[in-house]
Amino acid sequence: MQTLASSPSAPVGFLREDGSVDAAHAAVLSDELAVALYEHMVLTRAVDGRLVELQREGAIASHASARGEEAAIVGAAAAMHDHDWIFPSSRELGAALWRGMPLVAYAHHAFGTARDPGRGRNAPDPPFWKAARVASVSPLTGTQIPHAVGAAWAARIEKADVAALVFFGEGATSSGDFHNGLNFAGVTRAPVVAVCRNNGWATSTPASRQTGSVGFAIKAVAYGLRGVRVDGADVVAVLSVVREARARAAAGLGGTLIEAVVPRTEGTGPAEATDPVARTRRHLETRGLWDAAREQRLAAEVHADVERAIAEAAAAEKPARETMFDDVYAELPWHLKEQRGPAR
Amino acid sequence: MTQMNMVQAINDGLRHEMRRDPRVIVLGEDVGKVGGVFRVTQGLWDEFGDDRVVDTPLSEGGIVGTAIGMALYGLLPVPEIQFSDFIYPAYDQIVSELAKLRWRSGGEYPAKMVLRTPVGGGIRGGLYHSQSPESLFIHVAGLKVVCPSNPHDAKGLLLASIRDPDPVLFFEPKRIYRASKGEVPEGDYTVPLGKAAVIRPGKDVTVLAWGAMLYEAIAAADEARKHGVECEIVDLRTLWPVDIETVIESVEKTGRVVVVHEAPKTCGFGAELIALVNEKAFLHLEAPPARVCGYDTPFPYTLEMDYLPLAHRILPVVLATAKY
Repeated sequence: MQTLASSPSAPVGFLREDGSVDAAHAAVLSDELAVALYEHMVLTRAVDGRLVELQREGAIASHASARGEEAAIVGAAAAMHDHDWIFPSSRELGAALWRGMPLVAYAHHAFGTARDPGRGRNAPDPPFWKAARVASVSPLTGTQIPHAVGAAWAARIEKADVAALVFFGEGATSSGDFHNGLNFAGVTRAPVVAVCRNNGWATSTPASRQTGSVGFAIKAVAYGLRGVRVDGADVVAVLSVVREARARAAAGLGGTLIEAVVPRTEGTGPAEATDPVARTRRHLETRGLWDAAREQRLAAEVHADVERAIAEAAAAEKPARETMFDDVYAELPWHLKEQRGPAR
Repeated sequence: MTQMNMVQAINDGLRHEMRRDPRVIVLGEDVGKVGGVFRVTQGLWDEFGDDRVVDTPLSEGGIVGTAIGMALYGLLPVPEIQFSDFIYPAYDQIVSELAKLRWRSGGEYPAKMVLRTPVGGGIRGGLYHSQSPESLFIHVAGLKVVCPSNPHDAKGLLLASIRDPDPVLFFEPKRIYRASKGEVPEGDYTVPLGKAAVIRPGKDVTVLAWGAMLYEAIAAADEARKHGVECEIVDLRTLWPVDIETVIESVEKTGRVVVVHEAPKTCGFGAELIALVNEKAFLHLEAPPARVCGYDTPFPYTLEMDYLPLAHRILPVVLATAKY
């Protein structure tokens, strides 16, 4: 009789404590990509930090921070192809920025201005960015998982080399839509990569209250998918694991559920040893790609960019009252015309 | 023109549109090889194959959820929910996602689909195969709701629904799937959304109905005529956005209105229709607007004909309204 393990398998990890990797894994990312990933992780963290402040000041209503999860988010996004779909959950600002969403567009979203792509209708976050196939998702738990599977399934039907990446926290594995989505993924062999960010906690509830199973990756098995645990603070491992999942999906071998184990952060952020940003920086240093001067320059640039974007969005006009009635339907029906009143 | 029943007309419409538009995908429980439990999709799998006519897992939330992803990608899914009583597991996907995608994305990510589902009672289906949940969807901003009453309209409204840019709930009155027969044009035509049909002009009482209950309204009107009361019967066809002009024009003419529907009375669509009549035609009214509806109980198996607002229940309300 086969018995299930009593503890989950060790997560895949490549980065050593000193920032080095085995020679075999060094080729996972080029110098250029390594630097770009780090810069986006730093940018994401800076935006996060500033938005948490703005939320506390009451300037914006909400912000879902990705502190400690930057490698899992930016690394996974970078592993996909440019024309692949990304279905974020609430914390994937970094994925949208990686895909080219301008920082200022995100700031307009956070402030709900007239220039928000979503026209100030959805409280922050997550953002969407149509030009780069970053989908519009709701903040509801897990509902985007079947959407990602459906988009991937459509790509399979169309015989296009397109896959879908979907993010969610471990709390979403308790939702019906996690089951619906992954069950359909297994049946249809849709080319989907599902990344579950597991920091051990959903708001105030520990992972042990979400599942009786040993970890989350193992849930893939019953759906006919592949399950992988990865150190979500190890950008080299995330990139490698998601790339492999993407390649398998595109080859018709089915989807993968990736459990990215990420450090839990409270206020001050993760400890240096588990901090994905610090670990990535140490990796750049071991490759001779980074030093204190570059760090200083990046910090100054990021600070200036973030402040400029926030200043613009904070000063921007809010949407006009009449815009509320647009986009409910493609054309304004009689009852909404009545409720809107005469156009001014 | 060919003589068809509603099942054949909807099947003909689906086939026509699938030939015309390669984006159209039919998916649902048992819709493939067997052609659906009511055979509405019969033969489509043979012609269009596994990729375009898909037997799905038994999960309405999964059907609608994945169909949303397909729609975002650029396909045009036409999912079938086997009975509208089974639609509630998909309610979150329909209400929170499908209906709101265009709005929340500033118009950039509309998710277009037509959700077909058999509706209503009178087929000995009992509690879980007989419900009429239309008002639960009319209440949700962003959805259009359609319910045809005959084969001609069923095909024409289906083609219009598939070509409409907004998500459409397409309720098929299963009691008259085979009982309603008529001439159906071959090939392409549409019946526009948002346009009701005055199927019988009359000067005394306006009767608003749709789907299977239209025939009960007609039977009641035939009886009322023997009492000297001429009913104007309006088949709404599109429930939302309702054809308010036709409704108000008729009520202004007759000064009296009776709404007939199978769904429970309280907060049923009749409540909204009467509120609209009161707002827009109050001074034309000669009698209190009336409703003949399903009761505010769950739908009964054995007593279904007592539950349904059949002609014998409509007639006295029409006569009382006419003589008020």
